[in-house]
Amino acid sequence: MTNVSDIKTFTDIGGFDIKKVAVIGAGVMGAGIAAHVANAGVEVLLLDIVPEGAANRNAIAEKAVEKLLKADPAAFMSKRAARLVTAGNIEDNLGDLASCDWIVEAVIERLDIKQALYAKIEAARRPGSAVSSNTSTIPLGDLTAGLPDSFKRDFLITHFFNPPRYMRLLEIVAGADTNPATVAAVARFADVKLGKTVVTCKDTPGFIANRLGTYWLQLAVGEAFRLGLKVEEADAVMGRPFGFPKTGVFGLIDLVGLDLMPHVQGSLKRALPLSDPFHATLRDEPLISKMIETGYTGRKGKGGFYRLNRDNGGKAKEAIDLSTGAYRPQEKASVPELEDGGGKDIFALLEAPGTAGRYARSVMAKTLAYAARLVPEAADDIVAIDDAMRLGYNWKFGPFELIDKIGAARLKSLLAADGEEVPALLALAADTPFYRVENGTRQYLALDGSYRDIVRPDGVLLLADIKLKSQPLLKNGSAALWDIGDGVVCLEFTSKSNSLDEGIITLLGKALKLVKDKHKALVIYNEGSNFSVGANLGLALFACNIGAFGEVEKLVAAGQKTYQDMKYAPFPVVAAPSGLALGGGCEILLHASAVQAHAESYIGLVECGVGVLPAWGGCTAMLERWATDPKFPKGPMPAPSKVFETVSTATVAKSAAEAKELKFLREGDGITMNRDRLLADAKAKALALLEGYAPPKPVEFFLPGPTGKVAMDMAVAGFAKRGMATKHDTVVSGVLAEVLTGGSADHIEPVPAAKLLELERDGFMKLIRTTATLDRIEHILETGRPLRN
Amino acid sequence: MQVYTPPLRDMRFVLHELHGSAELSTLKGLEEVTPDLIDAVLEEAGKFVTEVLAPLNQSGDLEGCTYENGVVRTPKGFKEAYKAFCAGGWNGIACDPQYGGQGLPASLNKLVEEMLCSGNLAFGICPGLTHGAYEALKNHASQELKDRFLPKMVDGVWSGSMCLTEPQCGTDLGLVRTKAEPKGDGSYKVTGNKIFISAGEHDMAENIIHLVLARLPDAPKGIKGISLFLVPKFLPREDGSVGPRNGVTCTGIEHKMGIHGSSTCQMSFDEATGWLVGEPHKGMRAMFSMMNSERLSVGTQGLGLGEAAYQAAVAYAKERLQGRALSGAKHPDKPADPIIVHPDVRRTLMTMRAYNEGCRALAGWVARALDLMEHAQDPQERQRAEDFTALMTPIVKALFTDLGFEATSMGMQVYGGHGYIRDHGMEQYVRDARIAMIYEGTNGVQALDLVGRKLPAHMGRYLRSFFHPVLNYMDAKLDDENLGPLITPLSKAFGALQLATAHIAEKGLKDPEEAGAAATQYLRLFGMVALGYMWVRMAEVAFEKRVSNPDDAAFYDAKIATARFFMEKLLPDVAALWGSIKAGKASMMALDEAMF
Repeated sequence: MTNVSDIKTFTDIGGFDIKKVAVIGAGVMGAGIAAHVANAGVEVLLLDIVPEGAANRNAIAEKAVEKLLKADPAAFMSKRAARLVTAGNIEDNLGDLASCDWIVEAVIERLDIKQALYAKIEAARRPGSAVSSNTSTIPLGDLTAGLPDSFKRDFLITHFFNPPRYMRLLEIVAGADTNPATVAAVARFADVKLGKTVVTCKDTPGFIANRLGTYWLQLAVGEAFRLGLKVEEADAVMGRPFGFPKTGVFGLIDLVGLDLMPHVQGSLKRALPLSDPFHATLRDEPLISKMIETGYTGRKGKGGFYRLNRDNGGKAKEAIDLSTGAYRPQEKASVPELEDGGGKDIFALLEAPGTAGRYARSVMAKTLAYAARLVPEAADDIVAIDDAMRLGYNWKFGPFELIDKIGAARLKSLLAADGEEVPALLALAADTPFYRVENGTRQYLALDGSYRDIVRPDGVLLLADIKLKSQPLLKNGSAALWDIGDGVVCLEFTSKSNSLDEGIITLLGKALKLVKDKHKALVIYNEGSNFSVGANLGLALFACNIGAFGEVEKLVAAGQKTYQDMKYAPFPVVAAPSGLALGGGCEILLHASAVQAHAESYIGLVECGVGVLPAWGGCTAMLERWATDPKFPKGPMPAPSKVFETVSTATVAKSAAEAKELKFLREGDGITMNRDRLLADAKAKALALLEGYAPPKPVEFFLPGPTGKVAMDMAVAGFAKRGMATKHDTVVSGVLAEVLTGGSADHIEPVPAAKLLELERDGFMKLIRTTATLDRIEHILETGRPLRN
Repeated sequence: MQVYTPPLRDMRFVLHELHGSAELSTLKGLEEVTPDLIDAVLEEAGKFVTEVLAPLNQSGDLEGCTYENGVVRTPKGFKEAYKAFCAGGWNGIACDPQYGGQGLPASLNKLVEEMLCSGNLAFGICPGLTHGAYEALKNHASQELKDRFLPKMVDGVWSGSMCLTEPQCGTDLGLVRTKAEPKGDGSYKVTGNKIFISAGEHDMAENIIHLVLARLPDAPKGIKGISLFLVPKFLPREDGSVGPRNGVTCTGIEHKMGIHGSSTCQMSFDEATGWLVGEPHKGMRAMFSMMNSERLSVGTQGLGLGEAAYQAAVAYAKERLQGRALSGAKHPDKPADPIIVHPDVRRTLMTMRAYNEGCRALAGWVARALDLMEHAQDPQERQRAEDFTALMTPIVKALFTDLGFEATSMGMQVYGGHGYIRDHGMEQYVRDARIAMIYEGTNGVQALDLVGRKLPAHMGRYLRSFFHPVLNYMDAKLDDENLGPLITPLSKAFGALQLATAHIAEKGLKDPEEAGAAATQYLRLFGMVALGYMWVRMAEVAFEKRVSNPDDAAFYDAKIATARFFMEKLLPDVAALWGSIKAGKASMMALDEAMF
C-alpha cells in the first residue's frame, strides 16, 4: 500500500521512463541501491571520489561492487545483474551522467559536501533528468538552498532503507518546486521496477519511519534502564506481543549498530522544535556511550547488548547487565505476563500490574500517541505512517492498526491517567476505529473525521481486497478458491505456514474440475509471507510414528495424481510464488503451465534435507526440464546428474532470477518486482496464455539405470570420505540416485513418466520408514534447523 | 482365604524367557546380574513375603494404625517385620551401591515389589515412598544432601514421605500454599499444612525424611513457583545420629476404606528446617522423577492384589462344592461338583489370570526400559527407553490399577457371600485395591497425561517406541503357522488403536475437550493392545519352549490357552472402545450444569 492518492496522480501524469541510473556515493547505502537497480535489469553507474594518490581512480566504487558480490544476505539477485553495474569516479565519469535518467546521491550526510556535489551534477546532467538524495536527516529545503531553479524542479528526496534490496519502504519527499512529472517518473520506477512501496512524506526531520522509530527505540531503551528490566525481558515485551521483530529493541539496535543511534538522535535533536516530545524521551545512558567508545557497537563490533562469547573456544550466548555493564549468560526471558497465552491481548498487557506491564504501557502509550501527532505534521494520512512502520521497521502492524487493536478510547484513557497529552487525531478517533470495512472496501479515517477508501494503484490486485468483497467458490480448512475476474480463479493456501496437506491436495483437485467446467484459467497464489514451505511434515511425522504408513503413501499418491492432472489440464495454470516455495511448494511450480514469480522468491527441492526425496513429481519434472533443454548435453547421464546435484544438496535458489538458472523456473516465466503487483501480473500471464492453449505432451526418458546409480553413489562416497556427507546423507542420496537413474532401466528402453513417479513414491516410502529420517523431520520441526545425522 | 504363593515360575518366565534376562548382564553396572542371582533373589523375596509379611496382612487390616498425641503406631508386628525387611537388605535392592544399595535392576525389583503388594500392600507403602524419595534426591539434590541422607534411607533406618497435597489442592499443585523462607545459612523455614501423607508418621523408622512442596517468597504464581524441600522429622547431627525434633508434627490420621496398616497423615510444618532440592521454582521437575517411579509402583500394586485375589479365588473355586456341571457331574463321588466346573466361574478366573499374566509381562517390558534408561551406553538407546517409559507410565498406573480392582472384585464374586464377609480376606483386597486408582494422580488424570502430554510430545515420537515394535512384529509373524491366528485379532485391535490415536490427535488439536472426552477409553484401548501384544509374544515363546522343554509342557500349554482366551474373549473389547471414542464428546457435554 502506498500513499495512494499521490501514486494515482503519478500514473496519470505519466512522467518519463528511467532506462539508466547513476548512484553517487559507494557506501553501504549507495552500493546497495545500485545493486538493486541492477536487479531490476537497469544499467547503473556507481561513482565515488578518487582516493588521494590512488593508482586505480575507481578503487572505491570497484571495492564496493566486490563487497556487494559477497554480501550476506545477497545484494544481487543474479550474476547477470552484477554485470549491469559500472564502477567509476565522479571526476572522470562526470560526463556519463548526461546519459542517466535518474541520479541518486548517497554521499556522507554533510550539507556542504552534498551541495558542492549538486553543483557538479547540475553542470553535467541532462536537463529534465531526475536527481534525488538518499539523505535520512537533512531537510529538502536545506539541500536545494541556493541551487538554480532548474535543479530544484528535478530534485527530490528518495530515502531507501537498509538493505535496499530487501526493505520495501521508499520514502519520497518532493519540494514545492519539484516537477510532478519527475516525481511520477521516479515513483513509478521505484514501484514497478524496484518493487518498493512509495510513501510520500512531508519535508520534516527524519521523515516518517526514522522519526517514529527512533522515538520508539530511545523510549524503549530508556524505560528499560529506568524500570530495571533485563534486556531479555524488555525484548520479550517489546517484540512479538506487539508484532515487532522478535529481536525486540536491544536485539534490533545490536543489528543496526549502537553507534548509528546517536547520529540519528543528534540530527533529530537539532532539527525538531523544543516542543516536540522527542526531547523529553532523549536520555543519555552512560553505559551505551561507553559501549560505543570501547567498540561494543553491536553485531559488527565486539558485541552489543548481546554477544557470542567465543572465549576458551566456546560459543556462549551472553547478555549485558544494564545496571553493571558486565556480560552474563543470556537467559530465557522470564515474563509471566507473556506466558500461557498472555501477551495476545495487548490491552491486558498494557494494564498488567507488574514491571512488564508498566514497561509496555509507558513505551507503547507514548509511542502510539507520538504516531498520532505525526499526522498531518509529517504525513497527510495515517496510511502513510502505518506503511512506513510496517515496511521500514518490519512492524507487523502499523501504529494505527495497533491503536485499533487496543481501542483508541482505551488508549486515550491510559494516556490521560498517566497525565500525557492526547493528540488531536486520537481524540478524533476515540469512538471510531482508524480503519473499517465499508461495502467490501477498506477505509481509513481522515483528518476531517470522514472515512476514505483505500484505493489501489493501477496494476495492483490484492486477494485481501477481493476477500472483503466476495465469498470463496470453494473452501476447506487448508485452502480456498476465489474468483478474481475475467474468467480467472485463484487458489489460496490457508493452512499453517501454507504447508501442503490433504486439504490442499483435495481442493486443488476440485478446483481443476471446476475451472474446466466454468472458468478459463487458474492462478495459484497467496498473500502469506511464504508461498509454501512444503508438505505438512508434522502430520506426516505423527502418522509415521503411529505406523500409519499406508495413509502417508496414499497422500503421496494423491499429490502425484493431482499435480499430474494440473500439468495436463486443458487450461493454463499459473503459479505465483513469493517468499519460500520449498519442497511440495516448489513442485507446484514445476507442474504449472507457467510461473509469475515475485523477485524475492526462494525456490528449491529441499526434501533430502529432511531425509526424504521429492515425490509429488518433482524428480520427474526436473529430469524432464534438463533432458529437454536443447542447449544441454544429450545422452542418458547428464540430466540425472544435474538433477542429482541440485536435489541431493537441497539447493535453494536465492531469488527468482537464480531459480531460472537452476531450472526451477523456465525462461518464459515472469518475474514481478513489486509484491503488490504479483497477482495482477499472474492473472495477466494466465489470460495471455489462453489463446490456443494446449497442455504439454507427455515425455519419455532414456535413463542410465544401475550403472548411473553406481557413478552417483561413488561421488557421494567421496563426499562422505571428506566429511561432507553424513551417514544418512549417503542413504538418502542412494535412494534418490536410484529414482533419477530410472531404477532398473537401461538406456535403450524408454522409461515412461508413470514409471518414474512410481520410483519416486517407493523411494519416499523407503526413506520415511527409517528412524534417521524421522529424527531429521522431528529436529527441523522443533528447532527450525536441519539435523546432520 | 488369603493363600498367596509367589508366582515364581511365571516371574522367571517373564524375566528370563520373554524379555531375555541375559541382556541385563551386558549392561554397564549390571554385569553381576546372572540368571542364578536373579532366581536366588526371587526365591528369598518370596520366602520373606510368605513367612513374614503375608501373615500380618489381615491382622494389620483389622487393627489398623493408631494415633495419639502426635504419635502413630503401626499394627502389631509391623515394626519387627520392618526391621527384618531392612536387615535382609530388601529396602535398598534397587538402589545405587554408592549409597549402600544392592544395585539390582528394575526388571528384578518390580517383581519383588509385586510380591510385597500381594502379601501385604499396607506394609509395602512405606518402603515404596522411601524409594520414591530416594529417586528424587538422587536425581536432583546436591551432593551434600545426598551424602547426608541417602545411605540411611537406602538401608531403611530412615524412611521417606512425599508431602504434596494440601486441603485446597490435590491434582492442581499450582495451588500449594506452604511457604519456605530462607534462613540465611543455606537452609529454609518451611511452614504449612499437608494432608493425605502416606507414612508421614509411624514407629517403624528412626527418622522420616519428608519431601515437601512449598513456595519461596519471590515465587511466581501457580505451578511455576513451586520448589521442593527436604524436611527431616529429626535434624541429623554431624555424626549422622538423630538430633533435635524438627518443627514437623502429625496432627491426625485418616479413617479410610482400606490399607489400614498404612498411616495416612495430616502433617503440620511450623518453621521446620528444610533444604532446597534442585533449583528454586523447579520443584515439579524433581517431584516428577519421584512421581513417575511411584506411578509405576502403584501400577504394580494393582497387579499384586489382582494376583493375590486370583490365587484365593482359584483355591475356593476348586474346593467349594455347589451344584453340578452343566455337561453332567464331574465328581459324582462328591455331594456336588466344585464350582470351577462352571463356564462363568471359568470366565471369571481366566479373565483374572489373563490380566495378571499380561500385566506382569508388560511390567517386565517397561522395567527393562527403566534398566536401559539407567545403564545403556548408547544415548539413542537411552532416549528410546526414556520415550517408552514416559509413554507407558500412565498406562501402567491406570490400566493395572483398574484391572487389579476388577480382579479383586471378581475374586470376591467367586466367593459369593463368603467373599463379602470379613473372614476370607477377599473384601480386604477390594478395599485395598480401590485406593490405587486414586492416589499418585487419579486414573482420569493418567488418561489426560497420556492424551495431553505423551501423545503429542515431539509430534508423536513417544508413540513410535510402542507402535513400531508392534507393527514390525506383526509384519514378521503374520505368516507364522502357530501365531497367525493370534496376530489377526492383534492387528485388528492395533488398527483401532491407530485410528483412535489419529482421531484424538486431529480432534484434540482443534478442541482439547475432545481429547479429554476420549482419554479414559483411549488409555484402556491402548493398554489392551499392549496386553494383546504381550500375549502373542508370550505364546510365541510357549510354542517354542513346549517343544524344547517338554518337561514343562503343562506350563506352556496353559500360556497358549490363556493367550487364546485373551485374544478371543477380552481383546474384542477394543472395537467397542473405538466406537465410543469415535462418537466424540457431544453427548457427554450436552447437559447444562444445572441439569445435573
